[in-house]
Amino acid sequence: MKRTTLAAIALAVTAGLGLTGCAGAAGPAEPQGQDGKTRLTVSVWNYEGTPEFKALFDAYEAANPKVDIEPVDILADDYPQKVTTMLAGGDTTDVLTMKNVIDYSRYANNGQLQEINSVVDKVGKDNLAGSDAFDINGKYFAAPYRQDFWLLYYNKDLFKAAGIDDPKDLTWEKYTELAKKLSTEAGGKKVYGTYHHIWRSTVQAIAAAQNHADQNSGDYSFMKDQYNTTLDLQKSGATLDFGTAKSQKTSYRTMFESGQAAMMPMGTWYIAGILQAKKDGKTNVNWGLAPLPQKDSNGEVSTFGSPTAFAVNKNASHSDEAKKFIEWAAGEEGAKAISKIGVVPALQNDAITAEYFKLDGMPTDELSKKAFTPDETALEMPVSDKSAATDKVLNQEHDLIMVGERSVTDGLAEMGKRVKSEVLGQ
Amino acid sequence: MTTKTLPPVAPAASRGNRKQARRNTLIGWTFILPNFLGFLAFTLIPVLAAFALSFMEWTSFTAPKWVGLANFQRMLASDTFWVALRNTVAYALGHVPLTMALALLLAMLLNRKLKGIGFFRVAIFFPYITSLVAVAVVWNMLFSPDSGPINQFLHSIGIAEAPGWTSSSDWAMPAVIITSVWRDMGYYMVLYLAGLQAIPNELYEAAEVDGASAWQRFWNVTIPSLRPTTFFVVVMLTVSSFKVFDLIVVMTNGGPGRSTTVLSQLIYQEGIGEGKFGYSSAISLVLFLIVLTVTVLQFKIQQRRER
Repeated sequence: MKRTTLAAIALAVTAGLGLTGCAGAAGPAEPQGQDGKTRLTVSVWNYEGTPEFKALFDAYEAANPKVDIEPVDILADDYPQKVTTMLAGGDTTDVLTMKNVIDYSRYANNGQLQEINSVVDKVGKDNLAGSDAFDINGKYFAAPYRQDFWLLYYNKDLFKAAGIDDPKDLTWEKYTELAKKLSTEAGGKKVYGTYHHIWRSTVQAIAAAQNHADQNSGDYSFMKDQYNTTLDLQKSGATLDFGTAKSQKTSYRTMFESGQAAMMPMGTWYIAGILQAKKDGKTNVNWGLAPLPQKDSNGEVSTFGSPTAFAVNKNASHSDEAKKFIEWAAGEEGAKAISKIGVVPALQNDAITAEYFKLDGMPTDELSKKAFTPDETALEMPVSDKSAATDKVLNQEHDLIMVGERSVTDGLAEMGKRVKSEVLGQ
Repeated sequence: MTTKTLPPVAPAASRGNRKQARRNTLIGWTFILPNFLGFLAFTLIPVLAAFALSFMEWTSFTAPKWVGLANFQRMLASDTFWVALRNTVAYALGHVPLTMALALLLAMLLNRKLKGIGFFRVAIFFPYITSLVAVAVVWNMLFSPDSGPINQFLHSIGIAEAPGWTSSSDWAMPAVIITSVWRDMGYYMVLYLAGLQAIPNELYEAAEVDGASAWQRFWNVTIPSLRPTTFFVVVMLTVSSFKVFDLIVVMTNGGPGRSTTVLSQLIYQEGIGEGKFGYSSAISLVLFLIVLTVTVLQFKIQQRRER
């Protein structure tokens, strides 16, 4: 008797577990909440630490009281993997944020996103920086609302102390010269002329943008000058050594905010970070912006960047509302909402730039404003199904060149050889 | 006549026994059922599915496509696979013997009655229960080529050309091995300590009476008596060495270049990173077969020794 009872309990527990497991997978979200509001779900990463999302959602809800936006918060590092898993499982989240164009091309080419040409047309693709990246044979499956690009941050106080003018019209040659002049060591405190972060883009994407070259091509001789410049800076002690930066996991923010580096090529996303750090009293760095140093001295500024975009899920519960939201977010209203917190919107016009420079704590000099209007912004990495695999090889070989294990020539040759055999299948 | 007839009770009894046995088995099954269902759903079926996937191409969006041995052909032709395999073996060859030797040494040192011995045992066990990410980050700082304490110490004792550790492709693997040995030796020390304490004292006394030196006692009493413990330690260490992932990801992320890329990391990169689930399943099948072969070999050797 007792045994049967025990067995019955065991069975009941098991069945119970199974049932709750089933109950966990709820059906499609209800079209309307209890208060008559539409619940629009948007996938985001690190909601607390990425204030642009809250800024956009709050502003949209204020303008559209009938919509209630619910962020689906995902860990930033796991974002692409998590979204892939969600989509493969038929998730019904309405709006999907495209963190980078490589993932975008994967989702779009696998038919996971809805075509939204009408939205892009309404906002006007000519005004949307970076919209070309989302063009797949004339079809758009996402609209960019944010466009980051690279420029040069510099420490005005360190420049003044060294008696050097603001870094106007820099070529890489002049920049190297300045960096060496600005490097000092006084009282045990080392100040570097510049800081190049360990990412491969700091060398490779700059070289690709300014030489109009393709990082998926398998021929990397175009990177030679840029590597030589960077290695020269490192050898002369004008920037922190790559090996140290990597093993110490050096934070580029600390390097600049604590005045350990007089210059730093970096993306515009850091503006919001630096404004916040100053507001919180974590730094008192007197900073300015300048255009990225150039290969030629013809006055043209070319840099690279990457757009962030919103897309509509193929399985969205509220497709129409999702499209409306994207049209708003990529448009003038959305641009204003994120400008207010120092994020660079994809929609660019004089009014928005003016608004942007009105931000509390932004430098107001002409050079900083000029830095904001580069002549040409190339994509950080081309949109292609090969990009993820190429990226891995380029990263590994970048390491070896930067720690000095391979000469620039050998490293670039190896890069080409590996990309050709492992990625392009030649 | 009576001897020829079988007692009629026997078959009935055996039938009853069998019934009882089946009942017992069934009840046993119901006890493990809840746990087994979880194991089935989250371990066994995924593992079998991964084996099947290694013969398919699957990006997770569309239905898997049967490609036969294509994944394996690609793998054997891939330079990176061989680099990762070599690195995994190199890691195991460094990690297994070093951890074993140090764990045994520490266990012998700490296997005595001494005031405060508990403190030392805990101190040596501590790295094992420390967060692995913290361990990796701190060791990375210690190994820093210019400002790290290790190289500063090496400079101070007159070594001018100190190794570049994690920033050099020749020294990155030794750096990872040193860190993992430091972390793991405490755990295996505890296992050895238990083994040492199970050796009867009479054996040592008898050896001493026979005039055996300390070295002879170690070699002829301690080592043979520890054989079952050593076997367990070797198997566990080998399996964990081939599976190494987290420490390497945090310390070097496979770099510089590919100098510390190991198989399990390659599986992650190809599968989760690039969405080539078929290909990464093929690599994981190979890793499984390697670990299986090594473990079976170890069992065989152990069996022969015991005979």
